[in-house]
Amino acid sequence: MPDDEASRLFQAFVAQDPASAIQVVERVRSGGVAQADLFDTLYVPAVSFLGGAWAEGAIDEVTFTQASVVAEQIASFVMPPLARPDTGVTLVAGVMHRDHHTVMKDIVVATLKEAGYRVNDLGVDVRPADFLERVEETGARVVLVFAEIMAQARSVARVREMLESQGHDDVVMLVCGGPFAADPALARAVGANGLIASAEGALRVLERVRADVLNGGAR
Amino acid sequence: MSRERSPQVIAAEGLARQGQTQAAVSACYDALAIDDRDAFAHALLAELMLEGDFYDEAITAATQAIELDPDCSPAYLALGLAYDRRGGMWDQSVLVWHELAEVTPDLVTAHVQLGEAFAAAAFEEEAVESWRHALELDPKQARAHYNLAIAALMREGMATALPSFHTAGELDPSQDEFFFALLGLPAEDVVIDSGRVKPEREARLVSAEMLARQEDFFGASELVRLLLDADPADADALALAAYVYLKQEATSEAMACALRALAFAPELPTALYTLGVVYSRWPGLARHAVRVFAALSKAAPQHSLAHVLLGESLLGLQRYGQAKRAYVKAIRLDPACVRARFGLAAVRLTEGAYAEARWEMRRAAYYDTKRQGLFWRLWDAYAEGGEV
Repeated sequence: MPDDEASRLFQAFVAQDPASAIQVVERVRSGGVAQADLFDTLYVPAVSFLGGAWAEGAIDEVTFTQASVVAEQIASFVMPPLARPDTGVTLVAGVMHRDHHTVMKDIVVATLKEAGYRVNDLGVDVRPADFLERVEETGARVVLVFAEIMAQARSVARVREMLESQGHDDVVMLVCGGPFAADPALARAVGANGLIASAEGALRVLERVRADVLNGGAR
Repeated sequence: MSRERSPQVIAAEGLARQGQTQAAVSACYDALAIDDRDAFAHALLAELMLEGDFYDEAITAATQAIELDPDCSPAYLALGLAYDRRGGMWDQSVLVWHELAEVTPDLVTAHVQLGEAFAAAAFEEEAVESWRHALELDPKQARAHYNLAIAALMREGMATALPSFHTAGELDPSQDEFFFALLGLPAEDVVIDSGRVKPEREARLVSAEMLARQEDFFGASELVRLLLDADPADADALALAAYVYLKQEATSEAMACALRALAFAPELPTALYTLGVVYSRWPGLARHAVRVFAALSKAAPQHSLAHVLLGESLLGLQRYGQAKRAYVKAIRLDPACVRARFGLAAVRLTEGAYAEARWEMRRAAYYDTKRQGLFWRLWDAYAEGGEV
């Protein structure tokens, strides 16, 4: 398939025929090539042919430019999917009560959202009862608590107490912030199941939580 | 009206410009022994002290110069940089940059620095306003874009910050310099008459590369056409054509030529560079960009920017640990690489290492002002009695 179809796509570019180009793309896709592979298997060789035709003088400068415009129009049809697949995992995240440090929370939450997690961001200065309320509302089984001040880091224990008091013993509580990074024992002391040290670390820890605790499933 | 400099100051200035710091300091003290109310001598001493990392002495000398002449713009620069690098003096730093921005309102760097001082003091909105003002004065101010990217990262995460990183990177003159460094072009420019180039491959290729560096893309394209007419499989000519198209925002043509070049020379750094830049402009092709820039960093490991480009593409895939290693490698190769410093700062922020991130940004500011030769520009303008 690929070379023939890439050649047809190239011909469609040169003929300045976007409709035919789309037809080629659709035909290849329906032939079983995944969206994620269309760019490499079809588009790249066709565009390379175009460069070759121009280099060899088979097409002139104007045709090259016009064919390139068509190639650009078609590009969106062959691009790998932008969004990552939904993990199905819902999280509740927020900065502990009386703490207004937003930076780490914002970076980690954005990273998790981009990676396909459903994050309920409660913002800053979040009371333990608000974590509980949102867990009950959403059925989330993972809570991510941020604290950058020592006193507030210690008070994260209240979130665990609040969850247990309402029978949510199975909720995974992860903590993140300077005091926990400096003293990992503090994370255990407040009843956290895990410690997040960085945005990339958050992805790793959540992956393990998905595999070990949530058995790869949602919620 | 120009300001009079004493012979001792002129001697000190000459030594300082030649990089003879110690002798220049002695000459400054000689000048001050004759006239301790000489603003030039104090300002120059401040710069020299800053050069040697003697921040308190730099602050004292610069303050003295400003007290003697509140229009002494080079002294404000030295004072602001000394406050920033000393650390913990953000309130004073904000005041100094504010003063410098008033003394020389068109000095873009003053607004960028003011923004950085605001950011360090946690006045985020004021910081963003200063950087935006800098961009109004000069839309190509790469450091303002880098700072806005960092601010976006802190508020909305990496996905929002990345486009600003790319914009900043493309405005950064180091990116084009990198391409020509990959070509191995001699530093000095030669005037090329494209109609009189010898009809030999090497002469045509080097002339086309020179013309591309001089941004004479029409002339470069003419020579590239001649090269391809002689050999359509000339990978170097194709890679140069790709770059010329890229510079004219014709990304599909650039991609076509780069892919063709790589068909004949799969590890050709110049073609890898252009293809990587094209891929990095499409959000869906982050993985492809990583692949291409990884190949580039292997093909040209001695160039810090190859690692910077790899680092930036890794940020798009949330592979921050690998990005950090790429940036560290880039900084090891070129400690003055502003773009690598900002990239590393971004990674450090994702690790919650704020102080380290700020430190990297301060180093970037230091190297950036040094690269611009800003002190001497302000000095010359001050001596002439005018503005920069």
